[in-house]
Amino acid sequence: MRPKNIVLGVIGFDCHSVGNKILESFFTEAGFKVHNLGVMVSQEEFINAAIETNSKAIMVSSLYGHGEIDCAGLRERCIEKGLDDILLYVGGNLVVGKTPFAEVEEKFLKMGYDRVFGPDCSLEHVAELLHQDLLSREEKED
Amino acid sequence: MSEAAVICVDIGSTWTKGAIFRRDEDRFSLVKRASVTTTTDHLPDAFYAVLEQLSTSHGEDGRAPLYFSSSAKGGLRVAVVGLVPEMSLHIARLAAFSAGARVVASFPYRLGRASIAEIESSQPDILLLCGGTDGGNERYVTENAQVIAASNFGGTIVYAGNNLATDAVADALANRKLVVCENLMPEYGKLNTEPVRNAIRTVFLDSIVTGKGLSEIVARFGVSPVPTPLAVFNLVQAMGEHLEDWQNFALIDLGGATTDFYSFSEAWFPESDAIIKGIIEPKVKRTVEGDLGMRISAESTFISGGDYLRTALGDEGVLSLQDYVHRLLQNPAHLPTDPKEIEFDRQLAGACIHHAMLRHAGTVEEVFTTKGPVLVQAGKDLRRIDKIVGTGGYLAACARNQQSVSIGDQMPEAAEKVPLVPQSFSYFADRDYLLPFIGCLAKDFPKQAALTAVDCLVQSGDQVQIPSPTLCKGGHFL
Repeated sequence: MRPKNIVLGVIGFDCHSVGNKILESFFTEAGFKVHNLGVMVSQEEFINAAIETNSKAIMVSSLYGHGEIDCAGLRERCIEKGLDDILLYVGGNLVVGKTPFAEVEEKFLKMGYDRVFGPDCSLEHVAELLHQDLLSREEKED
Repeated sequence: MSEAAVICVDIGSTWTKGAIFRRDEDRFSLVKRASVTTTTDHLPDAFYAVLEQLSTSHGEDGRAPLYFSSSAKGGLRVAVVGLVPEMSLHIARLAAFSAGARVVASFPYRLGRASIAEIESSQPDILLLCGGTDGGNERYVTENAQVIAASNFGGTIVYAGNNLATDAVADALANRKLVVCENLMPEYGKLNTEPVRNAIRTVFLDSIVTGKGLSEIVARFGVSPVPTPLAVFNLVQAMGEHLEDWQNFALIDLGGATTDFYSFSEAWFPESDAIIKGIIEPKVKRTVEGDLGMRISAESTFISGGDYLRTALGDEGVLSLQDYVHRLLQNPAHLPTDPKEIEFDRQLAGACIHHAMLRHAGTVEEVFTTKGPVLVQAGKDLRRIDKIVGTGGYLAACARNQQSVSIGDQMPEAAEKVPLVPQSFSYFADRDYLLPFIGCLAKDFPKQAALTAVDCLVQSGDQVQIPSPTLCKGGHFL
């Protein structure tokens, strides 16, 4: 059986590593083959890893407030590299200040991310959505 | 000849050389050496001539054991097809180099017509196909296998990619010579190069040896050759593993056509305070620069080393060097005749070594994060290297003639990405050019070979200091 490959990492010059380790073990438990790139991951590294591992989803974390700059353009870059249908999930403290989450979500959805999560989301919920989204991609492919 | 002797022969593209060593308790010592011009149309002729010159009874009657290496007829030529350039393709190149190969072509992603044409015309002995982690990408290797199946490439394909794609690759290449081994990157970013090295060695022995006309020697003496660079690689490994003082060193084999750079040192030191990006490179690493060399590659050295040579010689000096390089192309066997030409050779060698070292070494850069400045390393950290060995005809001759050698003493003062080159080291020359022979012994007698190698080396010059380029962002540098 083919593993459910996903790529995980903290984008930009962000060194927050604790949450990243938690996500790795959580998603592994939840049945995914997690390719964890750790902290300070560039867009290029996410994409290279997704190509080699045939991952159908890239899980981007950002905790230091520069998420908007770091995350912009990832979707376009994926398309450039032939990852046309890859799922892009993003979560964390995506912007500095007290912007309402709905605005943040809208901003990142516009950037081409499929799902956007705040700092207090339930991981079970994320895993469930990820399973569903991957399933519907597979059905679409078949 | 008594039982305590061994014979080593190295068949090069120009010279076939041999040596007899006496085997003492813990090391070997040179008894006699010989060399003749390589007989390209029938390699065994020169081989026999060398044995004759050594005037000894040899392996045939079971007395002195025989070891031999070969780099004749283009050496071991490998084309590499991988997926992502920085990942599977990079690992595949490292694996091929460490098996003693020359990488004649390498391509990432999908093979197009132009790439296939280049593979066909570069005539590799082996095509190393890889890509995808185990359970990862299958599409590229499968499609590339189909394209290769439709090509005129006639050598052996070694497949070392995603294990889930093995069947599809094998089906596509059903009518080709195919060897399947373990994935060289089973997990993302993790190296697994031993199985590929073994596969390449097996293919070399099974088919390439015959193609290069060496099977006659194998049949007659019952011994198999190693590619010469693999002999040197094995020696570097043996020295690092068996000698206390040689825990961090590099070896430069400067030839007429290529410059080979070997290093024995951990690639990354966690206490250096740098975060590593990309793969952690192997402790024993070899790179080969096909555009850097003293004679056949003199022109490409002149081009690649342009800035280095201009700084060293000035604009006028570079113009007369250019004339010299043109003359070398007409006559690659030329030896310098006056002090000016000696200086030109010195600078060409400096350019080769400088660039081979920079390409072998990794880099570090400082980036600013919310937690302060952080050092980010990519590639191999060579800063702990405290000894550099020079071998090859030119560097050996320099040592014999007591000519100074220029080794990497010209570095950029400041850079965004600082090269992780050695900072302070002693230079040792293989004055009598014996290391390839000793390398042949390194597999069977690692410790003795390592001790013998050190006996042959001559320390020359003072401690070399490479002024460490400072990070232009003004940060700390460990």
